[in-house]
Amino acid sequence: MTLDVSTAAVRVDGLSRRYGATRALDGVDLALERGITGLLGPNGAGKTTLLSILATVGEPDSGRVSVFGFDPRQAVQRVEIRRRLGYLPQELGYHRHFTVAAFLDYVAILKEITGRRRRAEEVARVLAAVGLETRARTRIRALSGGMRQRLGIAQALLGKPDLLVLDEPTAGLDPEQRLRFRELLSSLPGDPVIVLSTHQADDIAAICPHVVVLLQGQVQFTGTPAELAATAAGRVWAAGERDERAHLAWRGGDNRWRHVGDNAPAGAELVAPTVEDGYLLLSHAAGWR
Amino acid sequence: MTHAGEDLLAGYAAGTVEAAEVWSVEPHLMACARCRSVLSAHVDAGRLARNRSVLMVRAALGDAGRVRGLLCRCGVPDHLLRLLGATPSLRRSWLLSVLGVLAVVTAEAAAVRYGWVRASGPARSPEYRDAEVLAPFLLVAPLLVLAGVAAAFLPTFDPAFRLAVAAPFSGFTLLLVRSVCALAAALVPVVAATFLLPGPRWLPLALLLPSLALCALALAAATVLDPRAAAVTAGVLWAVPVLLLETAHGPLPIVQAHAQFACLAVLCACAVVLLARRDRFEWGWTR
Repeated sequence: MTLDVSTAAVRVDGLSRRYGATRALDGVDLALERGITGLLGPNGAGKTTLLSILATVGEPDSGRVSVFGFDPRQAVQRVEIRRRLGYLPQELGYHRHFTVAAFLDYVAILKEITGRRRRAEEVARVLAAVGLETRARTRIRALSGGMRQRLGIAQALLGKPDLLVLDEPTAGLDPEQRLRFRELLSSLPGDPVIVLSTHQADDIAAICPHVVVLLQGQVQFTGTPAELAATAAGRVWAAGERDERAHLAWRGGDNRWRHVGDNAPAGAELVAPTVEDGYLLLSHAAGWR
Repeated sequence: MTHAGEDLLAGYAAGTVEAAEVWSVEPHLMACARCRSVLSAHVDAGRLARNRSVLMVRAALGDAGRVRGLLCRCGVPDHLLRLLGATPSLRRSWLLSVLGVLAVVTAEAAAVRYGWVRASGPARSPEYRDAEVLAPFLLVAPLLVLAGVAAAFLPTFDPAFRLAVAAPFSGFTLLLVRSVCALAAALVPVVAATFLLPGPRWLPLALLLPSLALCALALAAATVLDPRAAAVTAGVLWAVPVLLLETAHGPLPIVQAHAQFACLAVLCACAVVLLARRDRFEWGWTR
């Protein structure tokens, strides 16, 4: 089956999913184009549920998904999606007795890369991409948390996927590793569709041309990071003292209080909003605490 | 000494020169430091680094262990062995546990058989002396085989289960490969242990069908029930009738002709269900 270039994107229509009494997704509509889309939202907002459905692991109660024109409800088309997919789950399970190279080799086989030489080349390529090439013989249980996260990213890159679904890929990475990760995503060949979830607004601002804010299972915002920041324009102030009327206030590195809200604190000066400010205001408006 | 030309060395580094030229330039390179130095300037450092990385990975993957190496030499595909490496019931610790349990029940039966300890009840089989000592073994052995197969297919035992679901490799194929190997690995010590036991000579063969039927029942039930519930259900459906039969008539009826036919019928029925509903093991969406 060939790739349908005319619909080479991911579409989600009216997606809903419940876990008992909890509504994880509530009528989510999305259109993801090629490039990086950041999914921003607090814990429990439905990010992981949405990403697992996109990765064909989870199943919605209702709604439709189309990945490059393929419908995951059809068994044959579901396999076609999986052939183009790289998935990093939020909690990646490891066979702890495996070495780094053996684990990647195992995942490569699951991705239908069965030729011994090609597997070795792919494993070497992704190890180099995440900077773990000297750890090929190391057992996974001996890796630090950050290294395991890089290993998780490496397995998602196997087979040069056209769709990368990354659930909190920067969790556990130190600042330098986060920068390297951003560089890695930005330099992936073939312009794949990348959707990543994160709590880090600065990750979104740094690498995502598109951002989606998910709150209480609903899409509250879609646009560019600049547009998200602009939603807080005129509602972010810096002041010497804390103003209790602000939705949120915290002391910054310059020892001044940054206020996000509708009321200007006394003696405050208006400052340029960031993506984080826009996100915090949206969360507050949606009643999220 | 006549040195090799720059173009020749550049072509040699790029792998574009004729074989005859390669044969002539290589002995010269062995002897000439100057030409080796010129050659090094034409070598693609990135390509070298990539090749080195691939070699390091191949070396790391080559540390396969003796059993894997032996199976590889016997013609088992390398990628199949890697998939089996992620099966807990094929791990040494699991197999040692199976051997441990078998050793206990076999030793108990052997102790009674050879008069080291006295049998607890009267003999009920006129044909086979001390057949009662088989009771714990006949109850436990197929359950051990079932446990091995259940560990091979239950998502709980596969920490990388989500990755397997999101991958294009067929879930049913993976399940079958792991289950069949786990079944074989568990059957070998079970059948070997029966040679140490008293009872009919056909006993080693008589355990095959019940073990196969039990595993097939668990797999078939997993197409309808939660996989863990399916394994537990199969175990209970074996243990309860066996205990009742052993209490009423002694252990041998469990492995005699009627029981064998019943197991064969269960095996066939479960195989049909398994084939008809195999798409239920393509986990993830639509499950």
